[in-house]
Amino acid sequence: MSEVLVRLEKVTKVYRLGEVEVPALRGVDLAVERGHSLALMGRSGSGKSTLLHILGLLDRATTGRVLWDGQDVTGFRADRLAELRGRHIGFVFQTFNLVPTLTAWENVELPLVFLGVPGRERRGRAQAILEQLGLGQRLRHGPHQLSGGEQQRVAIARALAPNPDLILADEPTGNLDSASGQEILKLLSDLHRQGRTLVMVTHDAEAAQIAERVLRLRDGMIAEGAP
Amino acid sequence: MTRDLFRLALRNIGHRRLRSWLTVIGILIGTAAVVALISIGQGLQRTITGQVERIVGFNTLIISPRTQGLGQRIRVDLGRLRAVPGVKSAMALRAETAYIEGPGGKAFYNVLGYDPAMDEFTAEFNLTLASGGRMTAPGQAILGSRAARELAAQVGSNLTVDGKPFTVVGVLLQQTRQTGGFGSPGISLNDAVIVSYEDFGALYPGPELALFAIVRLQDKVVVDTVKEEVRAVLRAGGERNASIIDFEDLTQRIRSVVSGVQAFLAGIAGISILVGGIGVMNTMFMAVLERTREIGVMKAVGAKGWQVLLVYLFESGLMGLGGGALGLVFGLGAAIAATTIVSRLYQVQNPITPALSVGLIFGALLFSFVVGALSGVLPARRAAQLPPVEALRYE
Repeated sequence: MSEVLVRLEKVTKVYRLGEVEVPALRGVDLAVERGHSLALMGRSGSGKSTLLHILGLLDRATTGRVLWDGQDVTGFRADRLAELRGRHIGFVFQTFNLVPTLTAWENVELPLVFLGVPGRERRGRAQAILEQLGLGQRLRHGPHQLSGGEQQRVAIARALAPNPDLILADEPTGNLDSASGQEILKLLSDLHRQGRTLVMVTHDAEAAQIAERVLRLRDGMIAEGAP
Repeated sequence: MTRDLFRLALRNIGHRRLRSWLTVIGILIGTAAVVALISIGQGLQRTITGQVERIVGFNTLIISPRTQGLGQRIRVDLGRLRAVPGVKSAMALRAETAYIEGPGGKAFYNVLGYDPAMDEFTAEFNLTLASGGRMTAPGQAILGSRAARELAAQVGSNLTVDGKPFTVVGVLLQQTRQTGGFGSPGISLNDAVIVSYEDFGALYPGPELALFAIVRLQDKVVVDTVKEEVRAVLRAGGERNASIIDFEDLTQRIRSVVSGVQAFLAGIAGISILVGGIGVMNTMFMAVLERTREIGVMKAVGAKGWQVLLVYLFESGLMGLGGGALGLVFGLGAAIAATTIVSRLYQVQNPITPALSVGLIFGALLFSFVVGALSGVLPARRAAQLPPVEALRYE
């Protein structure tokens, strides 16, 4: 039996829009095992992005517990969660979210800056990752000088920089043409094959195929594929 | 790591160059004004104290009537003053009105009893001779230019002062200044007949009533101690209305006047730095708003609150510091330009050079940096406290 990396227990999330309370998650139990890959599917508004954010310690559950590597992190302070994110979790976003004022190289270095990795080591690691992803010629390019596919690869390189345990991808192909999308999916599935844990939100059934397990969410609950 | 956060801040400033410059200019103007005013003020102070030091010197006491005005005299006893321990020399200037008969006229004039020891102040007292020389023996006199003209006297002429005979040995240059000679009101050197202090004493026996007295001190004495002794001697002689000031008192008075004015002006200019700070704050709020998503990304990849805070504090502090540094340069330039123009226009004898002290440099830089950083505190805190998910969702 493999080890559980993140576990959610009876997690709910309620957003408050003025006076109105909008439930996004209504009691989710989920275990993500180390080395596994998981696709979260569902219509927009089904709560899949919220679930991803809670898994990635970016957002807090309204009720329920979140265990990271066996440790209850529900009550952790913001900075401790940031530390955990920086060290163990890599995010890939639909809109790439590269920092426009920084070069590809510096964008990849960014998580390492916040971890306090010394400059030389940081630059070396960032360069190596970018080269692995075929961006060796694009180190000093700014995001606006890169194609969408290239930007997403830089974003993946950034997610990989701290050598994280978990890669979280939120519609990683949503803003890409199909060729670039294929490329990114292949890259993500390669990463998984190399042993990384991957959780991906998508509404593209084809994209979901790279995952070992597919969960469908409906109205804030897991409707299908639950463990 | 702090260095890297600093570099991130630099990047952010460089990225929106125009706005950064405009913000920096706000601080620049304030700092320039403060620097210009303070450096001119310090220069002015230095020039004046320098002049006072040259004229009066460190080891000098000036004794004068506390209330200035026509007929005000102080009662001194130079003999006893000279005997005070620590006193090197004492001199005084006396004046009376006397009936003078000369070769071509007779009238009342001011007779001054002048101590040759005061020759060291010749330039300051406008005692420049037009002809003749100084007094070297009893019975000699120097005439003011108008007195010489009206009495039809010249070097070598004989005259009587209240009946006693004197020989003219010198005639003073015509005075153009409105002020009285020796800085005393009511006495014009043009109308003066100057005799030696001893001759004056013989002419007017009785208490030594002087316009003012100057006491020179020996080196390395405690000025205040001697000053008290001198005051005691004056009191013993019946003089209670004398003011005794030393170099320190004089420069202190000058300093307090100049720094008072300077503090007032610099305070007003300082307000403009604060206004510049509000400009920084505004820019920083805009920056935080614009980069909300970016802050979300930074947090998603592991930036802690304090790290985000530092980036923005550096950013606003740097803009303050940049404005301060440029303001320093511009302010000094303005001060030099202003003093040069004023010196040229008014043909000042001792031109003021703006003083740039280390304290002013560091003070200006520190103040502008602190204003910049403080202006960034609120925006930076807002950035640091943004919940990551909301920041990422921000459009």
